[in-house]
Amino acid sequence: MNNDAVVQISDLRKEYSDSTALDGVSLTVRAGEAVAVMGPSGSGKSTLLNMIAGLDRPTSGSVVVHGTDLGSLNETGLALFRRRGIGMIFQFFNLLDDLSALDNVALAAQLTGTPAGQARRRALELFGELGIENRKNVYPARLSGGERQRVAVARALMNRPALLLADEPTGALDSRSGEQVMDLLLDLNQIGQTLLLVTHDERLATRCASRVIEVVDGRIEREQSLERTQEKAL
Amino acid sequence: MTAVWSAAWAAVRRRMLQTIVIGVVVCASTATLVMALGLLESAAAPFDRAFATQRGAHLTAAFDPAKVSEDQLRSGQTESAGPFLQSTLDTSTGEVFMGTLTVAGRADPGGSVDRLSVWRGRWATAPGEIVLNRVPGGEGRTDVGFEITAAGRPKLTVVGFAHSVTGSADAWVTPDQVKALQPTALQMLYRFQKAATAAEVAEGQQTVTAGLPEGALLGTLSHLTVRDKATSELGVFIPFLMIFGVLGLVVAVLIVANVVSGAVVAGFRHIGVLKALGFTPGQVMAVYLVMVSIPAVAGCVLGTVAGNVFAKPVVQDAVEGFGVTELSFAPWVNAVALLGMPALVISAALVPALRARGLPAARAISAGITTHTGRALRIQRWLSGTRLPRSVSLGLGVPFARAGRSALTLASVVLGVMTVTLAAGVTMSVAAYDDAVRPSYTDRVEVLAGRPPGMPVMRTPETGEPPAATLSDSDDEKMLRSLPGTNAVMAVSQLETEVAGGTQDAMIFFYRGDTGALGPRVLTGHWPDGPGQVVAPSRFLNQRGLGVGDTITVQAGENRTELKIVGVVLTNNEDQIFADWTALDVLAPGTRAHSYQVRFTPGTDRQTFTAAIAAGDPGLRVLPPRDGSSSTAVILISAATVLTLVLGAVAALGVFNTVVLNARERRRDLGMLKSIGMTPRQVTVMLVTSMGALGVVGGLVGVPVGVVVHQLVVPAMAHAGQADAVDILMNVYHAPALVLLALAGVVIAVLGALVPSRGAARLSIATVLHNE
Repeated sequence: MNNDAVVQISDLRKEYSDSTALDGVSLTVRAGEAVAVMGPSGSGKSTLLNMIAGLDRPTSGSVVVHGTDLGSLNETGLALFRRRGIGMIFQFFNLLDDLSALDNVALAAQLTGTPAGQARRRALELFGELGIENRKNVYPARLSGGERQRVAVARALMNRPALLLADEPTGALDSRSGEQVMDLLLDLNQIGQTLLLVTHDERLATRCASRVIEVVDGRIEREQSLERTQEKAL
Repeated sequence: MTAVWSAAWAAVRRRMLQTIVIGVVVCASTATLVMALGLLESAAAPFDRAFATQRGAHLTAAFDPAKVSEDQLRSGQTESAGPFLQSTLDTSTGEVFMGTLTVAGRADPGGSVDRLSVWRGRWATAPGEIVLNRVPGGEGRTDVGFEITAAGRPKLTVVGFAHSVTGSADAWVTPDQVKALQPTALQMLYRFQKAATAAEVAEGQQTVTAGLPEGALLGTLSHLTVRDKATSELGVFIPFLMIFGVLGLVVAVLIVANVVSGAVVAGFRHIGVLKALGFTPGQVMAVYLVMVSIPAVAGCVLGTVAGNVFAKPVVQDAVEGFGVTELSFAPWVNAVALLGMPALVISAALVPALRARGLPAARAISAGITTHTGRALRIQRWLSGTRLPRSVSLGLGVPFARAGRSALTLASVVLGVMTVTLAAGVTMSVAAYDDAVRPSYTDRVEVLAGRPPGMPVMRTPETGEPPAATLSDSDDEKMLRSLPGTNAVMAVSQLETEVAGGTQDAMIFFYRGDTGALGPRVLTGHWPDGPGQVVAPSRFLNQRGLGVGDTITVQAGENRTELKIVGVVLTNNEDQIFADWTALDVLAPGTRAHSYQVRFTPGTDRQTFTAAIAAGDPGLRVLPPRDGSSSTAVILISAATVLTLVLGAVAALGVFNTVVLNARERRRDLGMLKSIGMTPRQVTVMLVTSMGALGVVGGLVGVPVGVVVHQLVVPAMAHAGQADAVDILMNVYHAPALVLLALAGVVIAVLGALVPSRGAARLSIATVLHNE
């Protein structure tokens, strides 16, 4: 395995009873990269993300994240891996309605055994960095979509994960909020955060990713470096 | 197939787990309801039911055969059985003393009146055969094959046991055989059109005896007299069974309300979609009601069948003492269950369904989004700041998110704990009472020395030899006291006496020696400490309207004496009283002890001790240790155990349902928590904790409620049994027991929550989050 590879996927297959979601995907994501996975609906891109996050298990092939072969982990091992190794951002935010924004973020650290006070202090730091410190005591139902996604990003970063996974992070946001989230992801990548995002949004991909992978019918059809595109955008 | 049915059936299939939960809970609730109603119905009039099953005799009459012919007795229009020739057998000289047996000659056990149930062996069909009247399942010192001997009568071999609820006879032989037993009476068994009151029975009696020669009627026994005695024995069961029946009903109602309300809430979104598709509000409501009714009706039918199958043995146990061998619940029990439970389910579903009916489609579609109260949020915020593990603190906050659901769940846990507490209390009370009145005597031996005055020869079951002490009474006592290991000795004799003014005779037991250590426990007053004093059990006093301080006059043969009641003792037999030995010297001077009770010190070997007694006086016979259990106690404890298990399981199912509903509503939250690293074990801990918290509260509330109910039920049981609610019945809850009982709430909650919690822990995150 490459020393700087955060994710190394080899010949990954995922079959369901009536379909094949992934058909021999191999992929390497290096530290500091921002990789966008694109493709039409049902192409297998979310399945690929789930495999990397250890949310689902492959039919065959291997997924190694930060040197850990996820196939060797049981459910508890996968949970511990997710807790420390990755942060996830979802299209629909997935915040707990009955916890304040601050407690939603602190929760991720508390699960690792961090005391409540310490977890809240770390969460407040993130709220400051993400510009939502004035929304810390607000409950999710009263936050705007963009604010919710920023809270979700804060939660994902809480345990300083080596890999940040984002599944359609702007898919449920209006264009302005989407722009803000894109900026946020770009900033994170620029300070060294490895990022893998699944999106339909070509603008998001071209703006945030250094590499775009197109998945069609469970296979990687095309892989493209976006350095030039980014320069154009800049 | 209509659109409503299609939509409802699709909803049922899509919510299979919820459907199964509703079905199972309704099934268990219905079974409990059937059981409760069956018990209530059976407890209400068990004698009447047994009487009706056997077509018992309203009047049992004995006629003088010298004054009336069989044809004269047969000629009446009244429904009757007989005449049967009737004789008496004195068994006092036999191997086993069975008292004086009233024996009737009957060709068969059937007939239109007093249909006997032969529950063991067979009916007597040949000379030399006899069938004894015994309660089904009852044990005795005789069995099939036993030979009964009576002076001047042929030997009779027991071929079976039958039971007559009206007690028309103690035994039956063939009509030919009874002729050889020197019959003295003709027995007639009558059923009247009206016999609900003593006046109606008397009127019936007047009708059937009209025109018969004067003096032809020797005596009668009304079914009302038998009923009074029988119901006083069953009375012990009634408060106990009634409270369990009511508990079962309440638990069933709570759980059904919880299940259906939860199902309605979970179905709002579905209803919204239907409205969006063009279903009318009425159709939407119909879809929803049909959706809940399908598992409810199926569960109800299965529950009714299960209730009948499982409850009958329990009820049977409770009533077989009255000779009911084939029990069937009254039709209304099943009708109430089959119609009442679905009606209850639909009623519980109707209110939220009406709410859904009136909801605009858009709101209905979004109704699945949780809207929690400020209090729940404040509690969750406070919990998040505590030092508890996060999975625990999250779990503790869950009940506050759905306060109504949690309250219903808590109520069912409280009732479950209350049931366990009550059942444990009743069991301990019954066991304590049983142990007090029927001790197993593991620390002592009972030694027979001879025959009490006026009583038959007693043979020890092991050797068959009658006791015949070789030493004098005082020497035997001295010998027993001198044995190594002897701790206390009490000499006993007994005398059958007539109590003046009473309707029943009384057996007086006279004690000498260490009565404080070996005599019955004195509840009030004191043990007789001089001549002319007696102590009696509550039942003796209550039946005769006597109390401590009163004086009774007793007569034995030619001797009469007055005895002052100086105390109440804890024994169960209403016909036994206890006096000091000095009273025996007045009533039967010179009588020796017919038995001794000897308590040995701990560590003494019973066999060695018994051998030493035999060596000291070869004429003494040591009785085998007594079996301390009574059939009533066994029935009560068995019924309490079964009912507790059923109601506990139903309460646990209520918890199960709540966790299923909570997990279903929180699928997205659970998926998110797992996605950020919550382990399956932490998910399980969170959900189990959410119910464990209710279990703790349920235990803390349910135990005192159960104790209070116990303090109400046990005196009622004791009162019904014509006894007093003495301290050993009431003071059964001690600190360790209370702590254990409080844990019952946690056990119910954890057992109910564990399976669905583990299921939720295995939830596929990818699926859940993808569905969003």
